[in-house]
Amino acid sequence: MNKDIKNYACPYCGEKCRSADELKEHVFQAHKGRGLPAPEGSIKLTVNKAEYVIRVAPNWTLYYLIHDKLGLTGTKQFCDQGACGSCTMIVDGKPVLSCMLLAIECGGKVIETVEGIAADGHPLIEAYVNNHAMQCGYCTPGFVVTSKALLDRHPDPTEEEIVEALAGNLCRCSTYPQHPIAVREAAGKMKAAKK
Amino acid sequence: MSTHPENQTARALELLDNLKADMSPLKEYKHIGVKGPRRIDGLAKASGQADYTMDVQVPGMLYMRFLMSPYPHAKILKMDTGKAARLAGVRNVLRFDDPEVGKEEIIGKVAGFFGSDRPLSGVAHMEGELVGAAVTADSEAIAEEALALIEIDWEERPFMLDPVAASDPAAPLTFPERYIDGNHWNRGAYDELAHGDVKKGFAAADKVIEFKFSRTANTWVGPERPCGVWKWNGDCPEIWLKHQRVHLPKSRISQWFGGIPMNKIQIHSLYQGASFGGWCQVDWNLGPLWCAALVSKRTGRPVKYIFNRREDFFGGSMDEGVYFVKVGFNKDGSITAVEATLYQVNAIWPVFNPVLHLHDNTTIPHLKGQCKSIWVNKGHTVPTRCEMLPPVLTQTMIFDRVAAELGMDPIELALKNDGAMGHDMAWVNEEKKQRGFQVRDSLKECVEKGKAEFKWDESWHKPGARKLPNGRLHGVGFTWAHEWDDSCGSGEFAIRIERTDGTASLLATGADNGVDAENTYCQIAADEIGLRLEDVHYNPQQYVGFYRMTPDSSTNMSVNGWAVRHAARILKEKILESATGPTALTQRGGYQPAFPDTSPQDLDIQDSHIFLKSDPERRMSLADFVRMAGESGCFSTDEFLGVRTAWSEPLFASSYHVQYGAYNPVNPRPRFCRQAHFMEVEVDTETGEIFVTRIVNVNDVGKAINRMSCEGQQYGGSIMGVSRAKFEEVVHDPVTGVMLNGNLIDYKIATMQDLGPVSTILVETGMGYGPYGLIGVGEDIGTVVPGLMAPAVFNAIGVRIDDFPITPDKILKALGKI
Ligand code: FES
Ligand code: FES
Repeated sequence: MNKDIKNYACPYCGEKCRSADELKEHVFQAHKGRGLPAPEGSIKLTVNKAEYVIRVAPNWTLYYLIHDKLGLTGTKQFCDQGACGSCTMIVDGKPVLSCMLLAIECGGKVIETVEGIAADGHPLIEAYVNNHAMQCGYCTPGFVVTSKALLDRHPDPTEEEIVEALAGNLCRCSTYPQHPIAVREAAGKMKAAKK
Repeated sequence: MSTHPENQTARALELLDNLKADMSPLKEYKHIGVKGPRRIDGLAKASGQADYTMDVQVPGMLYMRFLMSPYPHAKILKMDTGKAARLAGVRNVLRFDDPEVGKEEIIGKVAGFFGSDRPLSGVAHMEGELVGAAVTADSEAIAEEALALIEIDWEERPFMLDPVAASDPAAPLTFPERYIDGNHWNRGAYDELAHGDVKKGFAAADKVIEFKFSRTANTWVGPERPCGVWKWNGDCPEIWLKHQRVHLPKSRISQWFGGIPMNKIQIHSLYQGASFGGWCQVDWNLGPLWCAALVSKRTGRPVKYIFNRREDFFGGSMDEGVYFVKVGFNKDGSITAVEATLYQVNAIWPVFNPVLHLHDNTTIPHLKGQCKSIWVNKGHTVPTRCEMLPPVLTQTMIFDRVAAELGMDPIELALKNDGAMGHDMAWVNEEKKQRGFQVRDSLKECVEKGKAEFKWDESWHKPGARKLPNGRLHGVGFTWAHEWDDSCGSGEFAIRIERTDGTASLLATGADNGVDAENTYCQIAADEIGLRLEDVHYNPQQYVGFYRMTPDSSTNMSVNGWAVRHAARILKEKILESATGPTALTQRGGYQPAFPDTSPQDLDIQDSHIFLKSDPERRMSLADFVRMAGESGCFSTDEFLGVRTAWSEPLFASSYHVQYGAYNPVNPRPRFCRQAHFMEVEVDTETGEIFVTRIVNVNDVGKAINRMSCEGQQYGGSIMGVSRAKFEEVVHDPVTGVMLNGNLIDYKIATMQDLGPVSTILVETGMGYGPYGLIGVGEDIGTVVPGLMAPAVFNAIGVRIDDFPITPDKILKALGKI
């Protein structure tokens, strides 16, 4: 009997109802206007200021979720092993390697990708373009995101601090010398805009 | 087409002549050579909006993964794929013994361009080779899981990893399906190169030395892995492929399935996460695509494959091998003879002889060199930024050794032997004159600039003679080479003036590899036609329409630069003719010329405006000139309403360029432009670590069109070069033949912290055979700099390390510490 009652658990709040009619009534009364309930195994996360409720398989990485499932393909996968930084996203304010994080662990997290940074008109984007801080461009989003996280916590970094922050990002085209220049330029613009 | 016969003739000559200086450069440059045009691809790449093949998703798409051989040399005796096929989510299992898998000819028609003798072979010739089966499933994860369910009985065969040992006639065969009478495979025009008589040269020398050096496997590490998608649209395949020369696969694919007309094949060539030649040099990349095509046919669904990171490591750069060198020289520094043999690992093009550069850029009268491509049980080696690695490495090793033997400044030695094809500088200078170049001494200019920037005279010292206050040993190295851009190649470009706004679209195959080549084409077109740079845009043809020389290598500008220029000049003529004559006849008669009573010679174009040279106030913007009918297409609304304004014929021009370069054995062209590189290191004698504290690159690029792009190749090449010399090595277990470090944790590449500053200097002597006297720069630095570490480290520790990469353990061993 108990088993049956469980089958009529409210998908929004878990309250147990005795019949389908009772459940219908409960949902109508208590949860009217709340949209469809999230299916079991769903997580809720914020990506670039938009909320997503999505059911994730336990083996999905955050990279896979964002790149393949949400279709935000700006984040790139270079090493697939936590060694290159190209898949970096900002998760709750910190730069994180999204190929190394399981999506299922990201419930409730606030995530920022390169698309969000560009949409906000962050000065880093223009600074990267101006200074040729890219060649093939495959690693570039990872650098932009890591630099954004640096500027968030340190709006006026020295060259050494930039190099240290970006040392985990690999660029096979070896565009390295241009990144500190671009980041300093963006920092300068941010400073000027504040004044 | 122009009606002026003299222009036609001049153009025809320009199209065909690769052997002389640019006969008609521009008088002034507005966009060419200026620092920093905004990157065309910049915003898309920085904001994550640039799409790469890895990013492609097509509705209904399935994912394919391949079985990898666990053995370096083994044959499949029996394979059971039943369990794999039954796994939920698996849509197809393609087996090596399925009849339609076919033979090598189906993929490439060029024997030896594939790892094995078939696209999905039953025999593996290296550990990790994609053999036996391909599983296609709803996701990559399911396909992987299914692969683990395949049961195989293998017949293990003996294997070899060392090229010198494998060249022994008694060695076991490493690839008996292909090389039945030994592991030595030689092919190609340059595998034996000789001039003079080395015996004579050695006899005439004051001193003769012999030495050996080696380079272990290093690879491209393309950030985007090899990948592709195949979709059948009826009998018209639509393909997405990571490939820097998409016209090659298109041509191969046209031979598949009994023949597919080229015009029914659509290949999307998106942005490319660099490959430095690499995979694109071999049709290997097409084996998986062929499998995807078959399975797409079987399932009626699009099929995508992506190599995993480890799979990208199978294969590498063609400098891998063992080099044996003999050099004769005189006390005054003149080198009299060189003989070199390279035992090259698995080179599919063993045609870049170790003495090739010495032939191209020195006075050395007697040369003999040989490449022996030895097949061992590892991946192919191919041009990987670039095919000149073996000769460049050999040149650096020889010059530094001879300089040390003589106690001579290596720069002096370089200047002493600078020449071409065994001739001295007097001969070279005469050649410059004959070919219409101004006579400048490129190497001298390069070393003077480099020496000053590097402070060479204060920095250079006797080997092992300078200890720094921090306890490390200080060393500097110098090397030099010529600049090169000599692949045989051709390029086709078209330029169209758009209706409505008069902007120009450049049309050619899309094949971006990051060198900002597209901007460079626009700079040329803008200056040649007289347009503002912002009015010129490159619109890549994603369906591989116009053929374009690979845009990433040094040959890009010397081929494509000409093609753009030819097209721009033809188009400019066309615009001016159109502006002066009544065109576009309609029922109501012809339109009035925009510039009545003038001839094309009276007009010019500047800042996107056509104007009368004698009265510049009489001007009209190109936008006004072509405005009509832009928005209404083929309907002339104004005409319909009785308003008669300007009209121009369609303004479109195409052209091409073909280059043989120095690859032309009949009529080779001497090299005139040089490069010089300087490196400073500090060596920690306790840990063996090398710190590269600074590098100076000096490149005579003839004429810099896109400066930031040239500089990007300089510092980028330097960093990649140091990475190759110091870290990069694919390690195989000698006992099992298994690759041990096919990932980016264990295979190190340079990071931002691994190098001191790189100074980049461009010299512009105008002595290149490209338009405006330019010569390529894309491959040179990444190719020359790896060897430079050997002289720098020798200068620091006073002991030679002849085995690349130069790792701390080798330093400690050389110092007798381990
Ligand atoms: S792809 Fe995630 S760190 Fe390299
Ligand atoms: S720009 Fe190519 S990997 Fe960084």
